[in-house]
Amino acid sequence: MGLFNSFGLLNPGALWFLAAVPALIAAYLARERPRQATVSSVLALRALHVMRGQRFGGRPRFTWTFFLELAALGLAVLAMAGPYLLRRGAPIAIVLDNSAAMQAATPAGKSRFETAVAALDAALDRADSAGAVTVYLTAPQPRQMGGTLDGAGAAREAIAHARTVDAPDDPAALATLLGQLNSDPHLGRILFASYRPIAAPVPARFTPIGVGDPIGNYAIGRFILSRETFGAAALHATITVANFSPAPATLKVTLEGDGKPVGAAEAETAAGAVATLDFPRLPPAAVYRAVLTPGDGFMLDNTAYATGSSVKSVAILFVSPTPADGASLGAIPGITLVTRTPDQYTPRDLAACDLAIFEYAAPKELPGVNALLVMPPPDDPVFRLRATAAARVAIANWPAIDPLTDGVNFRLLNMRSGEYFGGHPWMDAVVSGAGGGLLLSGVRGGRRYVAAGFNPFPYLGRGNLPMSILTLNLMGYLAGFGAHTGGYRTGEAWLVPAGVNAIIRPSGERVPVSAGALFTAATQGVYQLAGAAGAPTLRAVNLTDLGVSDLQNVPPIAIAPGAQATPAAGATMRQPLAPWLLAAILGLIVFESLFVYRRRRPVAA
Amino acid sequence: MLGLPEEFTSEFIARLEQLRIKTRREYAGVGKGSHLSPRRGSSLEFSDFRHYSEGDDFRYIDWGLYGRTDKLYIKLFKEEEDLLTYIFIDASASMGFPERDRKFSSAIAMALALAYVALAAGDRVMIRVLGGRGAPPPPAFVYGRHRIVELGRTLGGIHPGGELDLAAALARELISIRRAGKVFLISDFLMMPNAAERALGLFNAANMDVTAVQVLGAGELDGQGLSGDVEAVDAESGERVRLSMGPRERARYRESLLRLAREIRVFCFRNGLHYALYTTDKNFQDFFLRAASEFGLAH
Repeated sequence: MGLFNSFGLLNPGALWFLAAVPALIAAYLARERPRQATVSSVLALRALHVMRGQRFGGRPRFTWTFFLELAALGLAVLAMAGPYLLRRGAPIAIVLDNSAAMQAATPAGKSRFETAVAALDAALDRADSAGAVTVYLTAPQPRQMGGTLDGAGAAREAIAHARTVDAPDDPAALATLLGQLNSDPHLGRILFASYRPIAAPVPARFTPIGVGDPIGNYAIGRFILSRETFGAAALHATITVANFSPAPATLKVTLEGDGKPVGAAEAETAAGAVATLDFPRLPPAAVYRAVLTPGDGFMLDNTAYATGSSVKSVAILFVSPTPADGASLGAIPGITLVTRTPDQYTPRDLAACDLAIFEYAAPKELPGVNALLVMPPPDDPVFRLRATAAARVAIANWPAIDPLTDGVNFRLLNMRSGEYFGGHPWMDAVVSGAGGGLLLSGVRGGRRYVAAGFNPFPYLGRGNLPMSILTLNLMGYLAGFGAHTGGYRTGEAWLVPAGVNAIIRPSGERVPVSAGALFTAATQGVYQLAGAAGAPTLRAVNLTDLGVSDLQNVPPIAIAPGAQATPAAGATMRQPLAPWLLAAILGLIVFESLFVYRRRRPVAA
Repeated sequence: MLGLPEEFTSEFIARLEQLRIKTRREYAGVGKGSHLSPRRGSSLEFSDFRHYSEGDDFRYIDWGLYGRTDKLYIKLFKEEEDLLTYIFIDASASMGFPERDRKFSSAIAMALALAYVALAAGDRVMIRVLGGRGAPPPPAFVYGRHRIVELGRTLGGIHPGGELDLAAALARELISIRRAGKVFLISDFLMMPNAAERALGLFNAANMDVTAVQVLGAGELDGQGLSGDVEAVDAESGERVRLSMGPRERARYRESLLRLAREIRVFCFRNGLHYALYTTDKNFQDFFLRAASEFGLAH
């Protein structure tokens, strides 16, 4: 390829500006560029003060700076023309799967990722090294690694810096990326190194580098901590295990709390089956770690973490003209009680509470949290409950299966005075007596509201077990049964909570963050959310994706056939020269600044 | 040599010993000297007659005149006194440019040579420096040729600088001058001709005998350092003039400078002032001795 065949201009019309160069030269010559000279007196010079250089057609000064600026001008015009070099060689796109599944070990002893990198190196050796290369990683989301790389050597170096993450990939996003690459006509080849196969027909330019041989794998699925019962201090762990191997296996999970064994359980699991293991009455610990045996080639999903702090206590706002009635509630473990009289109560008090109890009182507006109204006053303007007082109330009807009535023997429930509720537009009677509803329940605006026509709190305790169970049912229902968490998953983005200014990764690396920003945890483990004050909050992040753990059945990636573009035969790449020209112009200007303007200091004549 | 400029060789000093200041007028001095004074005295130079009065020295009775007029007259003679010599040196910034021409050094040498001539003849010398930086000599007359060393050291510590209105500065100096005498004004006179004439006219009006010594640099006359497009900055006023200097402009510039010098020379001649132009490319010693008459010096 000759010089002129390998060179082109994107905007050749700009070369017409070269015609303006003579005018610019004239302007340059007309420009005053005098050096300074201090003289004893300008008296005799005044008559000569009209510079000939200021006059058009004056004596030009063909100094080296003139030619330097002429060169800069010429380069600027050339840059405007958009010169480029044509480089033959098909650009290559490399999609390297760095998702969690690539950490799995192959029978050869290497990880899938290492195998993929070695295969890519070999493929690049065979490729035409003149073309540009772009490298994409797939997890947590597909992204380009750096800019366009110049040749196979740079690509090989970039790939050597790639690392796997503990997060799964996003198959839909990956399919989109592959489709976009397939529709790019400038690309000569697309190397896809992954454990995922490409659904047939494989587009012509795609070179799949498969490292997804089936591997038997045992995995921990979900690791959930919850309270044993509402208000109990003891925790209960539920762990799911899966057998992704061709043979049945006994899967054993050993549970540690803050490094000490706190439980173990095992399950005989059929091939392809999932089993659940329960760990009741766990002692309190900050961090729980579950380890699955036997080991396998993919160790990431053989370990899972949970934090005890994720099982939070329930904060209850107790509004009553007799706040002492709530004292018995405060004695329940895991409950934080805040009391207010109706006069003290403001809706702002709800911000720090999980649920509210209004005893002989009613809010002025619908509470923003789940709430229990105990014998509300008759003039309540929000709930508009129609109540009829009774000297003695008796329960006649209750549902057999209901979270509010579960385990309560109403026949043993002995109540004295109370009030019956009439019909309500959006609350239904769960427990009723002869005079109407005694316990109404309803959902409004996504909140749960319960109204009781009797006061259960004076009867709390062993002395009135049915009432105590009913009360705990009420608390459990209103607390939303949400006092457990399955933790967070690798690759998911969190909103950094308020008050947190740094996150400490499992590796110990401290990452400054700001509240409200998104943070993606790509590594499995326990993260510490540190704030300005107080101990850091712990947050467990697990793979928790049995789809990833199933290393035997991997669905192929489908590339939309309509997006396929005709491969460019003998593809060439335009290498723009304008940046280099602009750099040269800048260099010339700097050179002139250093060596020319420095000479303009006053000199004595 | 003893802090004097290098031009002051022993041969040159010996030649200076042979010179004396010649004034076009007679000035009263403050002590005995070699210059005729308007005062009556005891020199051999006849001045006038007057009637004899009792107490006069009868040795001065002109007996011849008595024989002709039968009246007693005594002869009066002039007094011979020293000459009060004032030397003014322009030390404004223009005297420092062009640096290669060493105009101010030449002006200092010129002043010291004139001072030595006066001191060697027994006259009193006061050197005043107009403008410049450094400690000027005290405003007092010095007497005796040995004081030349002191003057040389003092003047050697002065450097040109600043802007100077020559006429205004000389007017201020004139206020402090009590007695008339010989005045040497050494300057480049690079100013409007009327400003120079006003400065020189001040002393002329004060009945002084004035010698204007103009010192110009040889490079200054040739416009050295001014070539091509150049922005000339006035050393004193900071005024800037932009110009393109070529051979023709340089010739015009030289002609303008010489025309300014010529106008000052004409003014001096018309007003009975001495005038000398020294350009720094000339040998100082040769110039001083050959141009002694132009300075108002006599052998």
